[in-house]
Amino acid sequence: MADFDTGTGKTLGIYTSALGLLYLVFGLIEIFGGSGEQVPGDLFGGFALVVIAATYLIGVKGVLRGRHQGLSLLIGGLFLSAVFGVLYLLIIGADGLMYLLGEAEELPGLVDLRPAIWFFILSLPLVYTARKLTKRITW
Amino acid sequence: MGELLRDDAELILAERRYQAIADILESTLTKGEGKWTYTDMFDHVFLHKALGIPIFLAMLWAVFQFTFSLSEPFMVMIGMIFGWLGGLAEELIANPHLASFVAGGIFDGLGSVLVFVPPIFMLFLALSLLEDSGYMARAAFVMDRIMYKLGLHGRSFIPMMIGFGCNIPAIMATRSIDNEKDRMITILVNPLISCGARLPVYVLIAGAVFGAKYAGTVIFSMYLLGMVLAIVMALVFRKTLFKGKPSPFVLELPAYVVPTAKTTILHMWERGKWFLVRAGTIIFGTVIVIWFLSVHPWAATAGGEMIGNSYIASLGHFLEPIVRPFGWDWMAAVALLFGFLAKEVVVGTYGILLGVEEGAVGASLVSLGLFTPLTGLAFMAFILIYVPCVATIGVVAKETNSYRWAAFVVVYLVALAFIVSGLIIGIGRLLGFS
Repeated sequence: MADFDTGTGKTLGIYTSALGLLYLVFGLIEIFGGSGEQVPGDLFGGFALVVIAATYLIGVKGVLRGRHQGLSLLIGGLFLSAVFGVLYLLIIGADGLMYLLGEAEELPGLVDLRPAIWFFILSLPLVYTARKLTKRITW
Repeated sequence: MGELLRDDAELILAERRYQAIADILESTLTKGEGKWTYTDMFDHVFLHKALGIPIFLAMLWAVFQFTFSLSEPFMVMIGMIFGWLGGLAEELIANPHLASFVAGGIFDGLGSVLVFVPPIFMLFLALSLLEDSGYMARAAFVMDRIMYKLGLHGRSFIPMMIGFGCNIPAIMATRSIDNEKDRMITILVNPLISCGARLPVYVLIAGAVFGAKYAGTVIFSMYLLGMVLAIVMALVFRKTLFKGKPSPFVLELPAYVVPTAKTTILHMWERGKWFLVRAGTIIFGTVIVIWFLSVHPWAATAGGEMIGNSYIASLGHFLEPIVRPFGWDWMAAVALLFGFLAKEVVVGTYGILLGVEEGAVGASLVSLGLFTPLTGLAFMAFILIYVPCVATIGVVAKETNSYRWAAFVVVYLVALAFIVSGLIIGIGRLLGFS
């Protein structure tokens, strides 16, 4: 028995799969040495992306079936996306402050936006749908 | 039954009891939409069999990235203030003895420790957020699965987490462990959990030799190394000194809550203020002794200008053969010796011995060739493992009711520090690092 509309579940599931795969690919790239300035090699940073990917992807089946179990994993993935997206944004802010203090050569620009920030922005549409589906749920 | 199933009878009974409850609930209760709460949903993720531990590790890594990367500009600001004050003191104070004391002893020595107020408070802010939200209890729960298999008690994980702040309350928290063997093992391995006092040393060395980009990752590795060593040593103690099985762990999980700014900041302050208290007492006292030894004999050192002729250099050169195989010099020997009193003193010692502004201590460590990435990593590992501060040793003696156990902790930790740092240097050199 579905806990929420399976039509919504299908849309959510497809979006979540795409997002999960993006996290997985970029996570693996970071783990295996990175590629260019925007995707730097970062073992633990890459590991974190793979963990987010796994959270999303494990939840896909449940989301497609309209089950709360799947929705939980989607929300968990969103939470982790937010933690890492906001963390990297704060780090960019700190880098900007270092520039103002004369400790960095240039202001951080678009090139310094790590994939986790872009993916966090891409995750935001899910927040709206997840919020709608959990309206009646309490703490 | 225990022998038949090769498992602990009490644990089997507990598992069967909970299984019976789950079976009854499954056949009598239908969970509809209204039955799910956010706590259920988050627990489904954070306590997930496959995801629980990776999520915990990722969260821990985020904590250390947050701590190191965000505190950097604030550290620079504090360094600038102390550097400016030191310069002002040298300019305005006519008496060379007093000028050296204020600029070298107070501003360079104590200042180089106080520079680390931001990362320490940020670490405690992040840990308070995790604890106040209810996540930390889940972390203990997911880690119990591994810990039990390794022969450790699940409740041991909570003192380990407290140990990230300070080993003293962490060791005192072992009182909640009923089984004496489990408690003893937890006390003996707790000093391996990296406390906040080690953080300034990691930030200084990792920032200097690995650069800002990788420092957060290296610092996180040190915390992981501490946890791995604690688990390995617990296993060793379980197999040798305290044979038997750990008792089962029952933990009531609190509901998740959104932490309020007020309580989080209060918790951060409660945990972080000890650093300021220590800075004003034991650290201040020790850096004054180090400053005195570094500028005397006054004439021979030309008022601290020729530190190689000082008492502290003589002491350092005497101890240097012990640390030379690791690629460290006499300054490291002195820093480690005084670090026995409080780990933050290691940073203060370098601040005084190098005689540079607070912000420039790290750069000097590299430009003077005192540390390479390999020797720096080994030094951080040594700092992590070798004797915890003197206060922690005192608490071990008190909690075990035995000075012998306290002495045992000192001996095994020093031996382990030499082994691990030696392995890092040996393997690193084999791989072609210098």
